[in-house]
Amino acid sequence: MGIRDRVARLLSELPKEPQYPAQGRTLFVDLETRDVQSAYTPRRILETLLSGRGANMFYLYRLLDESLFPLHPDIPLIFGSGVLTGIVPSAARGNCTSWAPESGVILDSNCGDYFPSFLRMNGIDHLVLYGRSTQWSLMIIREGEVEWRDAAPYVGLDNIDMRDRIAADLGGVWTRDMSMVNVTRAGENGVLTAGIMGGPKAIYARGGTGAKMASLRLKAIVTLGHTHEFPTPHPYKPYNRQIAQKLLATSVVKHALSRMGTPFLYRPSRLLGAMGTKNNQETTWTDALDAEHIDPYRPGMEGCFRCPVNCRPRNDLHRDPSDRYGRGDGPEYVTLGKFGPNLGIDDVEAVIRLNNICNDLGFDTASTGSAIGWALELFQRGIITTTHTRGLELRWGDPELVEKLLFMTAEREGFGAVLAEGTRAVERGHYPSEALKYRMAVKGLMQSDPHDARILKAFALGLAVATRGMDHLRNRVTLEINAKINDDPAFKEQLYGGPVSAAPNSYVDKELAVRRCENIYAVGDSVGMCRFTTKLFNSPSLPGLEEFSAQIANVTGFSLTPEELDHVGLNVMGVERMINHRLGVTRKDDTLPDRWFDEPNRHGAYKGERIDRAEFDALLSRFYRISNLTEEGIPIDSWRRELEATMNAD
Amino acid sequence: MPISVRLPAMLGGEVVAITERVETIDQLVAALGRARPELTGHLQDTIFNFAVNDEMLLHDVARRPLQDGDVVEIVPAISGG
Repeated sequence: MGIRDRVARLLSELPKEPQYPAQGRTLFVDLETRDVQSAYTPRRILETLLSGRGANMFYLYRLLDESLFPLHPDIPLIFGSGVLTGIVPSAARGNCTSWAPESGVILDSNCGDYFPSFLRMNGIDHLVLYGRSTQWSLMIIREGEVEWRDAAPYVGLDNIDMRDRIAADLGGVWTRDMSMVNVTRAGENGVLTAGIMGGPKAIYARGGTGAKMASLRLKAIVTLGHTHEFPTPHPYKPYNRQIAQKLLATSVVKHALSRMGTPFLYRPSRLLGAMGTKNNQETTWTDALDAEHIDPYRPGMEGCFRCPVNCRPRNDLHRDPSDRYGRGDGPEYVTLGKFGPNLGIDDVEAVIRLNNICNDLGFDTASTGSAIGWALELFQRGIITTTHTRGLELRWGDPELVEKLLFMTAEREGFGAVLAEGTRAVERGHYPSEALKYRMAVKGLMQSDPHDARILKAFALGLAVATRGMDHLRNRVTLEINAKINDDPAFKEQLYGGPVSAAPNSYVDKELAVRRCENIYAVGDSVGMCRFTTKLFNSPSLPGLEEFSAQIANVTGFSLTPEELDHVGLNVMGVERMINHRLGVTRKDDTLPDRWFDEPNRHGAYKGERIDRAEFDALLSRFYRISNLTEEGIPIDSWRRELEATMNAD
Repeated sequence: MPISVRLPAMLGGEVVAITERVETIDQLVAALGRARPELTGHLQDTIFNFAVNDEMLLHDVARRPLQDGDVVEIVPAISGG
């Protein structure tokens, strides 16, 4: 059955009327024929998975043909905004979902800025895109209606020029009445570490989103239209004010995020001896990249739609205005780590400049920085030579070399064509199989976070079981580095639903903490809340299931208790694992890079720490048991049948 | 020798010398609160953690022994993306 038949069958089952007044449509867009059909996500799905990431998984589950391949035009690319996106402060997020061309497992990426909120302002909750356009296309959503333009004039443009040209050609104003998601040259060239840009820096990053969107010959989606309030069964603004006050009163927001953004984490990570350095061969690096050294280059902060936090730092290197990379947005902690210690670079200006280049070229900085770090180590070890690199000498700590590699990768030029394959460089025959020993990836996805998790066992488990691959944003038990919480057992038990060992390097009960975080983060993604401002990621005091429950009731009229929402988070993970299982994922894929099992940490108070294989295996089994998963990591039969019935019901 | 306490930028960024005798982090926090009363509330805030001589403390902090000449740092701990 082809995608059009699958869509037709699904459409015949979906409601034609909204399930609550503020619900937006799901548009099914055939890019080849430009046929657009619409329906609404059914209430049973909303109550089981919510919207955003959750309902995206419903659509992928129903439309995926796993006999094809990720870049086949019959494999849909799905954008979805959360139930509260654009309505609640700091809920400005949406997800992009498909079958990942880089990892081979689910593609699911979350992004903020303005597009997810403005999509909702246009009365659209989900966009299901399939078919390959006969020519490069620009999709415009104007006041809820879809228009098309020939995108040929925009092909070859990277992010800075693309945003300038679109603003000039369409006459909208960014952040006021216009937003966009777009691919860059790297995406057009099928680079597997390219993302879909959602703003000057915001990006749907992981798994090869850019290559997927470009494979459909869709250069960009632009929304145009004015913002408005939403009709709701109950007033939501009074509770919004409480949420905003709670956000702004939380010390992590007040003291760190609003002032400097996320680079703060660099210092504790390096002091701990857990800063991934030179592709995780080492775990500490210079203090020259501590957040305070970025201060002179930060003229101000920006934020996403109606977010009071404004955690995105702008940067200005005070260079000649003609240098297009002398200013920009960021860097975040991930980029600082991946392009600093990970590549042996200790110059803060160099890291900021590389960050700005990545934002223009549309690179997922986690995957791209990791791919370069992997290559540098392989060259250091003699596993690859100048024969592989076509004459390039790969050296640690060489920003000029890295800059050159970024542009070569975007164009798939020379050795850049190898880096463009990301984690797949061995499979595609560019590196010998020995190289896999040094690849810092799980389920075919490079690690998102520069933090080396040999010490923190909850973090390590989370990276192993994350459904999209090695990524901290799915379930990181961040508060494991917080001694004040570790030393308050009663409070810690309350946060994670059971006693969890105070020792960060202990394996005891860590499955409880990962399970609790995975649930609340999946709910956060499905209502559209930013991870930075969701309870348990950065603070125990931020909005969580209680606040989501109250505001879901106000906005939709649905009653979902915090306990029921916790189960919704579990459901989202369950469906993702069912999809992954169809793609061949089993227990053996819920693991970690060999290095963390085999090589002890060599720095700091936790010198000698590594992951013990037997302890990890037991921890994984305990995690499966409390997650209603079989020993192979898929939902147990009774729960699987329940989820299947929900996904397939008429 | 006094114990030096390095404050993060958002708490002023300076180094405070604690000259009264303290033997643990708990005692240091109390002494710091006496020396700088305006910090008392912040010192209980979960975001602020401690490092001693460039070693991050992740648990069992209150009874962590200190010695003359130690350098204690108050480190804000958050995550990133």
